Amino acid sequence: MDTSKDMLIGLVAIVLGSIFTITFIAIESETGIIGLIALSGAAVVLASRTGISERISNAFSSNESMMNSAVLVAVLVIIFWFREDHFSLLMIATVMLYLTACLGLNIQLGYTGVVNFSGAAFFGIGCYTAAVLNQNTGLSPLIVLVIGGIMAALIGSILILPMLRTRGHYAAVVTIAFAILFKTFLEVNDTLGGAQGLKVPGMEILGWDFNSNIEIGDEIELSFYLNYVAIALVLSVLAFILMRRVERSWIGLNLDAVRLDETVAACFGISIKRWKVTAFTMGNFLIGMSGAVFAMMLGFIAPSNFAFSDSLMLLSIVLLGGMGSPWGTVVAAGLVILLPEKLQVIQEYRFLLFAVVVILILVFKPQGLLPRGLRAYIPGWRG
Amino acid sequence: MVGTFVGFTTYLGLSAVGIDNAFVQLVGVLVVAVGAMALLGAVIARYLVLPLKSAPPLNILLITLMLGTVLRESVRLFYPDGSNPKPFPYLLPTDSWAFGSFTLRADSIILFIGGLLVIIGVNVLINKTKMGLAIRAVAQDEETAKCMGINYTFTVLLTFALGSGVAAFAGVMNGLYYNEINFSMGLLLGVIGFSAAIIGGLGNIYGAILGGFLFAALQTVGAVALPFSSAYKDVFAFGGVIALMVWRPTGLIAEKSSERV
Amino acid sequence: MTKGHDKVLAFRGLTKRFGGVVALDHFDMEVDEGQIMGLIGPNGSGKTTSFNVLTGIYEATGGTIEFLGQDITNWTAQKVCEAGVARTFQRSRLCVELSIFDNIMIGNHQNLNHGLMYNIFQRKALKRDLQESFEQAKELMAIFNPPLAGRMMEPVRNFGMIDRRRIEICRALISHPRLLLLDEPSAGMTEDETRQLMDDILVVRDKIKGLSIILVEHEMGMIERVTDRCVVLNFGQKICEGAYREVASDKLVQEAYLGVE
Repeated sequence: MDTSKDMLIGLVAIVLGSIFTITFIAIESETGIIGLIALSGAAVVLASRTGISERISNAFSSNESMMNSAVLVAVLVIIFWFREDHFSLLMIATVMLYLTACLGLNIQLGYTGVVNFSGAAFFGIGCYTAAVLNQNTGLSPLIVLVIGGIMAALIGSILILPMLRTRGHYAAVVTIAFAILFKTFLEVNDTLGGAQGLKVPGMEILGWDFNSNIEIGDEIELSFYLNYVAIALVLSVLAFILMRRVERSWIGLNLDAVRLDETVAACFGISIKRWKVTAFTMGNFLIGMSGAVFAMMLGFIAPSNFAFSDSLMLLSIVLLGGMGSPWGTVVAAGLVILLPEKLQVIQEYRFLLFAVVVILILVFKPQGLLPRGLRAYIPGWRG
Repeated sequence: MVGTFVGFTTYLGLSAVGIDNAFVQLVGVLVVAVGAMALLGAVIARYLVLPLKSAPPLNILLITLMLGTVLRESVRLFYPDGSNPKPFPYLLPTDSWAFGSFTLRADSIILFIGGLLVIIGVNVLINKTKMGLAIRAVAQDEETAKCMGINYTFTVLLTFALGSGVAAFAGVMNGLYYNEINFSMGLLLGVIGFSAAIIGGLGNIYGAILGGFLFAALQTVGAVALPFSSAYKDVFAFGGVIALMVWRPTGLIAEKSSERV
Repeated sequence: MTKGHDKVLAFRGLTKRFGGVVALDHFDMEVDEGQIMGLIGPNGSGKTTSFNVLTGIYEATGGTIEFLGQDITNWTAQKVCEAGVARTFQRSRLCVELSIFDNIMIGNHQNLNHGLMYNIFQRKALKRDLQESFEQAKELMAIFNPPLAGRMMEPVRNFGMIDRRRIEICRALISHPRLLLLDEPSAGMTEDETRQLMDDILVVRDKIKGLSIILVEHEMGMIERVTDRCVVLNFGQKICEGAYREVASDKLVQEAYLGVE
């Protein structure tokens, strides 16, 4: 009825959200951060009490393309705000790359119910592919990026047979074993740098060096991380669109059917194998690509980045945001990456805190922060 | 792993009290470590596992893994200087006998016998006692077990206490053997233990023993047979685990299960 | 040839053993086109097992299944479905967190385009496809219960047992099967609801020409009113076949149900 009013509220929320994000990233003092967290917590509680959050979600479902563009504009504003600030841009790009990886993980776990405890390993495959290719070949980084994804998907296909044959805990142990196998392999393999890791040359496209600052005239010098933020943004937006489109199609329905009841799915002709393989491969491809960009951005990678606990962290993001909920993943990726960076006090305790938070989420709100709604095949469609 | 640390703390406590007799210390360490972990296991079962028993199995698995992270990180962060390895005291006799080129250490024998006793003990407990019957009944069919007058909650708590206690015992044994403990030893051991149980087939003690031996065998074969480097032994062993899952997707000794359609 | 076509399904000596338990013992049955066949018998007599063997969930130990003149013994669930057999389940097995429309579309799987490119890039065509399917599903739902047809985008968890049965039957019918298997549709329903469901089934028979139905039921009133013919199973063996009246007066059947010493 008053969708335009809802939309207005939604837009205001996006503006407030971006102001909040900018302050959050810019602020240095830890008391300030804690204050901001308290403020946002209060705002969320208030919004849900007064029904504002419902109106915001209404705005998103009834006027999706408009609201999505608004969020994209907000993100661009945030990026522009920090155009000269190396560290902030690095953080933003990191959030986006983890977001991409977690969207991939969400297609596997959230839609299809395929457990993947080796997310960090596939991320690492992308990283190492980028490192090796950039060191030894002159391939364009964009191709390297795609190859990173393909490698992750290919190596992932080794696990397909055991994953299809096993179920439940047995399937989980396959990916856990692979996660540990992968890290141990990297640590002892000397050609890949062993435990010390590898240097990764940065990106360069058509003579455009991603690792030097962008100078416009004499006055303006933009951080070179802006290049990586741009590519991470493109990647995460594409991943977001992909996940959305997968969900809102017959494929998404097949994936849900496989997750919810394999027997019924098989009885109606849905091929369990085909859809598990599709979801697993698609997810690993996204994870691998984000890994490749991550490696080129950081310039240095080591096996310790891809431990089992990092896989658990990726899974935490998916669970925290809500299984199968892309917006939830966005929020959760932001929280999980930014909070420890900004609050150095908790940096040391971050794994402990994540673990506790995930346990609490699983016990009290298993559907996550922004639970997934019903499938609306077309935005705003009500049949 | 926490068990080992508790054991270590007990040792420190006992030495501080001034008891020097190694045997008393050993018994003290074991009793306190196993007891504390059994209690911790029961508490976890009571407040995290039981309330969630109708949740999807994946959630429970995740909670367990996250709980492992919590315990591990707690040791690392809150135990004095917990992030560094600690020497674990020599509480066993250090004699050894040489048979030609083959040396047999007294502590190995004691640990072997200790482990064997625990395995036999658990086996007898599960298969021969009334309590074991209750545990098996609950595992098979919760509703029926309840109807037959088995105290469900108590049995589940007991199972967790038993499992955690045995794990603590293994942790202390591990500490005694290697004379060093550190906060991350639990993760690998936990994964190996879980894999071993899975290889063997869940719900079967013989399966778990078989799985444990098989894993160790894979490691040894990996260390001996791989021409280039024994460093790959864990890679080989975990690769073996994955391959075994292809061959026998529900473990070597398959769990009896049936789905109602 | 026309004669051969009248016969939709034939079990010949169908046998299924679970270890030592014989769930189906040389079971012979034929179902004609447009016929409603009742399958009755005490608990555990093999009724649901025969459905599970037919639909490819279990493998037959012996015997053959012929469907529309084709031998479909031990085909996968997927292929049996594509051949034209659809079913409902004893315990309602809908995906309760999905909408009615989603659930019905799961049944419509074989008529949808599942290409990756089509689903991800050809959104316009998908949209048209979607609207068509939606109208189709709505029409079918309206046959059963017009109010339900107006609530197609609500999650199934919002609905009661009888509506869930209706949704399940729609899910099975949307793909235009030649044979519909109904596994105890009246389970968990009141007498009144059961009567409504019987009406629904008769409507289905009248509206869809040539559809054969096999109905597993304990509710004898339903069997009497709905079926053309019945088969009685006991311990996996067919003990009687005929119209309900003949079957009900059969001595063996009475013994099976009441037990005779």
